[in-house]
Amino acid sequence: MIGFWSVPLLFALPLALGIVSLLAPPAWRARLGLAGLLPLLAASIAVFAHLVLDGPHTYALGNWNAPLGINLAVDGLAAGMVLLTAVVSSLCAIYAWVYLRDQPASSSFFWPLLWFLWAGMNGIWLAEDIFNLYVGLEVMGLAAVGLVALKATPQALAAAMRYLLAALLGSLAYLLGVALLYASYGTLSMAGLQEAATADVTTQVALALIILGLLLKTALFPLHAWLPPAHGGALTPVSALLSALVVKGSFYILLRIWMVLGTEVTPFATAQLLGILGAGAVFYGGWMAWRQHHLKQLVAYSTVAQIGYLFLFFPLVTGTGPEAARLAWDGTLMMLIAHALAKAALFLSAGNLILAVGSAHIGHLVGISRFRPMSLFSFGLAGVSLMGLPPSGGFTGKWLLLNSAILSGQWWWLIVLFLGGLLSAAYIFKVFRMAFREGPQVDHSVTPPLTLDVTALMLAASAILIGLTAHLPLAWLRIGSPFGAG
Amino acid sequence: MKPRVIFAGLLSLAIAGALGWAVLERTLPAENLPERVAQAMPLSGVEHPITAVLLNFRGYDTLLEIAVLLLAVVVALALREAQPDRPERMGLENPLLRAVMAWLLPLILITTGFLLWAGAYQPGGAFQAGSVLAAGGLLLRLAGVTTAWLDNPAVLRTGLAMGLLTFLAVGLLVMLPGVPFLTYPTEYAGALILLIELTLTLSIGLTLISLFRLTPPYADDPEEARDQPSSRNGGMAS
Repeated sequence: MIGFWSVPLLFALPLALGIVSLLAPPAWRARLGLAGLLPLLAASIAVFAHLVLDGPHTYALGNWNAPLGINLAVDGLAAGMVLLTAVVSSLCAIYAWVYLRDQPASSSFFWPLLWFLWAGMNGIWLAEDIFNLYVGLEVMGLAAVGLVALKATPQALAAAMRYLLAALLGSLAYLLGVALLYASYGTLSMAGLQEAATADVTTQVALALIILGLLLKTALFPLHAWLPPAHGGALTPVSALLSALVVKGSFYILLRIWMVLGTEVTPFATAQLLGILGAGAVFYGGWMAWRQHHLKQLVAYSTVAQIGYLFLFFPLVTGTGPEAARLAWDGTLMMLIAHALAKAALFLSAGNLILAVGSAHIGHLVGISRFRPMSLFSFGLAGVSLMGLPPSGGFTGKWLLLNSAILSGQWWWLIVLFLGGLLSAAYIFKVFRMAFREGPQVDHSVTPPLTLDVTALMLAASAILIGLTAHLPLAWLRIGSPFGAG
Repeated sequence: MKPRVIFAGLLSLAIAGALGWAVLERTLPAENLPERVAQAMPLSGVEHPITAVLLNFRGYDTLLEIAVLLLAVVVALALREAQPDRPERMGLENPLLRAVMAWLLPLILITTGFLLWAGAYQPGGAFQAGSVLAAGGLLLRLAGVTTAWLDNPAVLRTGLAMGLLTFLAVGLLVMLPGVPFLTYPTEYAGALILLIELTLTLSIGLTLISLFRLTPPYADDPEEARDQPSSRNGGMAS
């Protein structure tokens, strides 16, 4: 009964809230938004609790089962992403409520767009149908573009336009692949495809198009150029949402499709190539982050680097033993969750530091450690997870990936994990070096509202906590996956 | 030629080649979905398979697509509100156009109604009907007929959101007897689909008209656009 109502509410509630907030007077939208967080959070928790208690299940929309109708699938990964989205989006929404208080123009459209974004993301996490995934991608992508454009500066508009074109090109490639798969298998359901798929030319071309489209949307190096201006240039709560959750949407689809088709259909070399691109992202993104002078651009390039780790999943899960594959699954998901929490925290605390010194230039942070220790503490905690230091979620994720690499004999990925950690340390400490330097530049600072610091700190603390208690969430995430119920 | 252009050309050729190869090599599907659709048709509430798929079997996809359309207007509204001026009144002072419109408009409305109704048993439906309705709206605008009521945000937004709202409300209300989202009771399926399509037609038509109205007059000239002062700047974090 809980699952019966809470599953459709995951997309119906944010859609309804989006419409209502569009019709409500602008002054009411923020209050309405805060009120709407509670039922949505409750529905997300209900879906997760239902999964943990009763196991994975499918939900046949319109009572038409796949392949005629569309199924929604609730397994550990889907429910986990729903809950992660609920936590990160709620905290970002509370942050935005305070942050946008004196920007009524941005605030009035932030709320409807946030709800549509949320609906799109929940649609993607629950989808079991490859065309439905495309529609979910469109809802999420268009809402994200609108959120980037909210800032309404010429730079933000240019970034939003670039983001829109990249997203559309990616969607189009994905859709072409879907059309080919439908033409040769007659079904859009992932379960049906998994049963029927063979490694023929059509399937391989389709999969190549799908992978290419999703790589562009996930901003994997060298297709990352749209990401730093869009993520770094948006309003702070929007940056946090985009980097923490939205880029994960297309990665999630890639992971799902890989588990359905990839391991049988693609040649071994494709998985290695994805891993190599991931390694390139880790090095290039880390290097570029270190070279930035604009604080939010640094954080945005850090996202380019962190996305790279997620792609080590493919070589570690394809053609390796069951134990190595399970470790790769656990490690990648832990990296994904830890990055979502840590990157949201990093963007929000970076936004707080920028508010405090009134400038986004890293050089202007000199001496800020005396005035804003709490913002800097959140930044540091999130940094610990991004660097992969114990006991953070980032450490646990890397440790699992490292074990998987050793177990499958692919020692070369260890280099990526180690050097990537060092590069992350370099760019995080670059900020700290400035902040702790005593200098004449700043002798006062603006005090941002406490709510802004508290939300950033909560996210940063969760990124650490998830590492300490990694056993439980990882076991839940395995429910209904090929790696067995934990 | 620039290397970029050559690269883009080669890439397009490669993708086109791969697509052609994939289509030629394609095996015929083992799953016969049209057959399944045909079997379920009597329960769908309509007689045309495309409408049955769009509004019943895969209604959830359509619901999200309508959300995408609404979202597009919301983004356009957000961008438009950031511009200082209202869109200039577009109207050709052309008496001939007005005279022709007096003849055309009833025909356009009849065609809209027909397309909407025809969707139940032959090609047609809300998307086509909405597009024709929007074409009528654009012609009116070009003829200089004032559409001042569209400037009332409450009216405009209610009209834009009505389709999605109705679809969503129907989807949730049918759950009351304890069936999944969007499970129409078989005896009311036809009526519910018609209700949804009716509101969708109006909302889709209004969406297309709004996208046209919201386009800034100088959108084609980036140089000029850059010179326009921005009404608000990025605010705290730059």
